[in-house]
Amino acid sequence: MGFSFDYLLQGFATALSVQNLFWALVGCFIGTLVGVLPGIGPVSGIAILLPLTTVLPPTSAIIMMAAIYYGAMYGGSTTAILVNIPGEASSVPTAIDGYEMAKQGKAGPALAISAIASFVAGTLSVIALTFFAPMLAEFAVVFGPPEYFALMFMGLSLVISLSGRALLKGLISMALGLGAALIGQDPLTGAARLTFGTVTLNAGVDFISVIVGLFAISEVMINVEQRIVAISEMKITNWMPTCWADIKQCRWTMIRCTAVGFFLGLLPGCAPSVTTFVAYDLEKRLSKHPERFGKGAIEGVCAPEGANNATSTAGFVPLFSFGLPTAPSMAILLGGLMMYGLQPGPMLFAQNPQFVWAVIASMYIGNVMLLILNLPLVGMWAKIVNIPFYILGPIIVFCAVVGTYSIRFQAFDVWVMLLFGVLGYFMRKLGFPVAPMVLASVLAQMLETALGQALLISQGSVLIFFSRPISAVFMGLAFLSIGRGIWAQVRAKAPEVALEDPD
Amino acid sequence: MKTQRVADIAVGCFVALFGIFVLFASTWISVAGVHRLSPRTFPHVVGLLLVCCGIGLALKSWTLRGEDFAIAWPDGVGIRTITVTLVSLAGYIALMDPLGLPLSTFLYLTFAIWYLNRSRWLMALTIGLITGVISYVLFIRLLGLSFPAGVLFEG
Repeated sequence: MGFSFDYLLQGFATALSVQNLFWALVGCFIGTLVGVLPGIGPVSGIAILLPLTTVLPPTSAIIMMAAIYYGAMYGGSTTAILVNIPGEASSVPTAIDGYEMAKQGKAGPALAISAIASFVAGTLSVIALTFFAPMLAEFAVVFGPPEYFALMFMGLSLVISLSGRALLKGLISMALGLGAALIGQDPLTGAARLTFGTVTLNAGVDFISVIVGLFAISEVMINVEQRIVAISEMKITNWMPTCWADIKQCRWTMIRCTAVGFFLGLLPGCAPSVTTFVAYDLEKRLSKHPERFGKGAIEGVCAPEGANNATSTAGFVPLFSFGLPTAPSMAILLGGLMMYGLQPGPMLFAQNPQFVWAVIASMYIGNVMLLILNLPLVGMWAKIVNIPFYILGPIIVFCAVVGTYSIRFQAFDVWVMLLFGVLGYFMRKLGFPVAPMVLASVLAQMLETALGQALLISQGSVLIFFSRPISAVFMGLAFLSIGRGIWAQVRAKAPEVALEDPD
Repeated sequence: MKTQRVADIAVGCFVALFGIFVLFASTWISVAGVHRLSPRTFPHVVGLLLVCCGIGLALKSWTLRGEDFAIAWPDGVGIRTITVTLVSLAGYIALMDPLGLPLSTFLYLTFAIWYLNRSRWLMALTIGLITGVISYVLFIRLLGLSFPAGVLFEG
């Protein structure tokens, strides 16, 4: 079940089929598009398209979804550099030096180094993923329900880091996500829960409706309220030129930011929006001319762009090895795997090696596609920000409605999306983090099933989670994370306001 | 609810009340047979969490003596635009089954684009029409998804 070149070659054979190449290209294209457009991120993009992919085979569908995720990391820098509007939270540090470079007439080199750093970091990280994921999966194969429960519990403790300064609000958001996921039939006994006797609620609330509402609809509401006409009306010229001197100057930066992005990305809760700042800061500290940072240093563009691609790829390691999502986008991909009847976690490598290796192989190909899409075509992407919001907003709503309706072809799911859109709007206004709700709504059922099975094994004793070494370690880490969050909360003397939601 | 502190107190109380409602609603869940994990357990945990965190948020904000800031609520025009956007979306959802995806998409997009920029009614009509046709050709004809085709295309 561990790494083998045969599996990888088989994966390449599957990923290089015409059908999978086409869907990888579609994913890369959509990913770059959602990355370029502030207002619709990879979370909304994947959530909207996931139900529509039911017409595709699972491998093609997940190849496309993964490409959207890592593709968004490429596209997010375009608006950050050209108009100082980061397409994603992870592109915020890119805007610092990228926009300064653009103002100095060096938008071309900034965009080019951003695409090249993304490619180098993305490819190096996929190589690391190729070796790390099966190794960890081999370790995780001994996991039983207690270990899985402890792992999911540790995943939920991510709420602490996803909540920023707003721990109580993060916990409320998590509880609401859990509550939404509990509506419907109990997975173990089949009892109807929180349905109030209505037949429609018996089938439950699908997490995609929740996510699309929280991210896409609430974002449209915010933009409509602010009467945004267009993201930018700037005309872009001189976007292509770069020289080898820039690449040579940044070669070690690319390696360092890959290492920082990848290894931090393996940790639960370390989203690209966090690691990009760490990589930027590290580069500034190591630079012989730190005073250039913030004034148009090319390494200041290279470091965060490489780090966000490395982190997004690293997120696939715990997803494939443990079935543990470390970010909202990963949670949706996990939901996608479950939708296709695939067992996330270590058994994925044992039971569906063709699938998992094809997805990994497709990432090598996807990175090449994205380099081609982002280097010569960057001028086209930059023009997209000129689309007026009065066209873009209703089209985003149309995509959201079509995506949500196609979950079960019931208008009920779209009503749920609308409800969570309004809830998401108020949550953002009132400083509630949205990410804990997404994480909880996806993990709830797995958490409850694993707990039920573990208690069955232990005949009702919760000590099982502390008497088995692996689950004890996970539980310990979870309680440590919770304790740290509570301590920070007790010491805080400011109102609770959430940080920007990670990707 | 103009400042964060006041809003947090109000929301904290509301969340606590909602938590009590969830706790109450959980008691209606039938527990037939003997289970190691009752179907009521998780709903109870959620209810308790909401009550505790709601009270905690309200109390923390009540006793807060540090910096406070205003919440950027929309002005009158903003409220009207959001309301019309939401009502038109609700209309789109309500019309989806009786009129079908292509026609309801055409109506929604034409109205929404026109409403957000009234000087471009012809553009709104064109985009609405093109998207309506694309939704029929792509989702119903090509992909064969079970969207309602509606009165214009059924049969």
